[in-house]
Amino acid sequence: MNNRSSMNKPLNDEAGSIQLPRQTQSRYILGEVYSIRQLTPSIKEYTIKLEEEINPNPGQFAMLWIPDIGEIPLSFADYSTGTVKFIICRVGFVTTYIHRNILVGSRVYLRGPLGNGFTLCSLKNCLLIGGGYGLAPLYYLGRILAMNNCRLKTLLGFKNSSDVFYVSEFSEISDTYISTEDGEEGFKGTVVDMVRKILAEETFDIVYVCGREQMLMKVVKECSAKGMKTEASLERIIKCGVGLCGSCSVEPLGLRVCRDGPVFDGRLLLKLEDPLKNNREEICIKN
Amino acid sequence: MYKELKNLDYFCKMGFPEDLSIDLATSISKLSLRNPTILASGILGSSCSLLKRVEDAGAGALTTKTITKNPREGYVNPVFVDLGYGYLNAIGLRNPGADNFSKELSKAKKNIQIPIITSIGGSSIEEFMYVAERMLESGSDALEINLSCPHVEGYGLDIGSDIKLTQQIIKQLKSISSKPLFAKISLHQSRIDILEKYIDAGLDGISAINTVKALAINIKALSPILSNIVGGLSGPCIKPIALAVVYEIYREFPDIPIIGVGGIQSPEDAVEMILVGASAVGIGSAIVRKDLEIFTEITRGIGKFMLENGFKSIRELIGYIHRR
Repeated sequence: MNNRSSMNKPLNDEAGSIQLPRQTQSRYILGEVYSIRQLTPSIKEYTIKLEEEINPNPGQFAMLWIPDIGEIPLSFADYSTGTVKFIICRVGFVTTYIHRNILVGSRVYLRGPLGNGFTLCSLKNCLLIGGGYGLAPLYYLGRILAMNNCRLKTLLGFKNSSDVFYVSEFSEISDTYISTEDGEEGFKGTVVDMVRKILAEETFDIVYVCGREQMLMKVVKECSAKGMKTEASLERIIKCGVGLCGSCSVEPLGLRVCRDGPVFDGRLLLKLEDPLKNNREEICIKN
Repeated sequence: MYKELKNLDYFCKMGFPEDLSIDLATSISKLSLRNPTILASGILGSSCSLLKRVEDAGAGALTTKTITKNPREGYVNPVFVDLGYGYLNAIGLRNPGADNFSKELSKAKKNIQIPIITSIGGSSIEEFMYVAERMLESGSDALEINLSCPHVEGYGLDIGSDIKLTQQIIKQLKSISSKPLFAKISLHQSRIDILEKYIDAGLDGISAINTVKALAINIKALSPILSNIVGGLSGPCIKPIALAVVYEIYREFPDIPIIGVGGIQSPEDAVEMILVGASAVGIGSAIVRKDLEIFTEITRGIGKFMLENGFKSIRELIGYIHRR
């Protein structure tokens, strides 16, 4: 299906910016859970071996189907030769079922990669900003950017110290800082506070952000005001996953998160009139 | 002169400079379309902004999602299957409900120039009437009654299977408005004697065909894929079926405009559909492979076909094969 060379080879691009052709596919591919790690009380990491290679771009997503239970969108937290990592936070019916009942050896079904991922670059100065489980796609992105000789700084925000995860993973590829709102670990405050502090001293060629949408919009505004390019990954309840049903539309622009996104250029998001809401509080049916 | 200007504007926008003498405009009942591509019902048509994007992408008219009286969440995932040769869906008539959507439609009517056809659904005459009244108040240019959704109990196909009830719905809807009234029918409802009754009751046009009731199994999971088990089949595999239905309807009722829907993925598919009798073509699941650019691709492709084959107006193409 995918003819593209493996994402895990370093990309050579003198211009410093690489837009890979958009590859998507929506057949189901069988996967078997290879390992599970409990990262925080509500977040687990699942490593799944797939029957075939899918080669996603960082920022693209997959629909994970658990027969008789449901199907949910998940960003690729990592990918290498047919093995995929997902970070799954217990937030609803399907994720709760997965946490309780999907074990090592369980079979799952995946269609993807879907949507548009992050713009990749080489030899650039990049800032990654993640909030909570929103850091998932940034790890895969960071690993690819690091391979392409980008200089990376990562800022990760968590509610409190019991929510902190993936810091050692990010530290291996990037200069990593964390914030907690209670200040028990790292910077005391929100990740937005930490971003303001960093931006007062440094500039970046591109800023990648994923997390709660209120946070994400604040970061996009801060960075855009300083003339930095931003890309943000949005989360919505996704139904068809291929841009047909319109369920994941972001108003008032009619942007389909599953097809036009989930990664959007920050300049586009600045055109949204209302601050975005977190997807789980917003039932799309109201649109 | 006006039409020429409209064409000029259109061609410039769509990058079609070849020949301004080609007339791509068509009409269905009282609706005038700048080109024969219509967004099919059930696809993207639930908000003003999405409808506007499809207009900007080059469509000739828009059909909304099927609107019911009350909001419907639709079914839980999976709701969509890519079969390779076609697509299966059971979204479950997900829509914001008539009251919420009427606000969206009013907004759409202010921002969108091309005709908007509202697809309406119901499980009773009262529900159809309620939805129709709201939509007409909000400026809907035409109504399309959904007689054929194959996967929601009490709606669509279940209503369309009751011929007397459908006749009554058509008569009552025609009594409240002179706006064009279309019916979206399935393969199973294409019997000429039944359609004749609907036309006698006042139906102005026919949209054919809806998706075909179908099922997909994943043998590795030993399970049906859709949460609703059955859904509606669309895409390339249903095109020959749709062509036969449109062919027969046109043969029997050459004066009744037909919106040909079912598996149109390319300009060639659209030309085929028009040759058998469609005045316009519905585009839906082609968006999976080609996204919204499909509307311009098809319109330009039809224009190119007409140039190469010596047709000046799309009207010469409609039902051409019946006159050979």
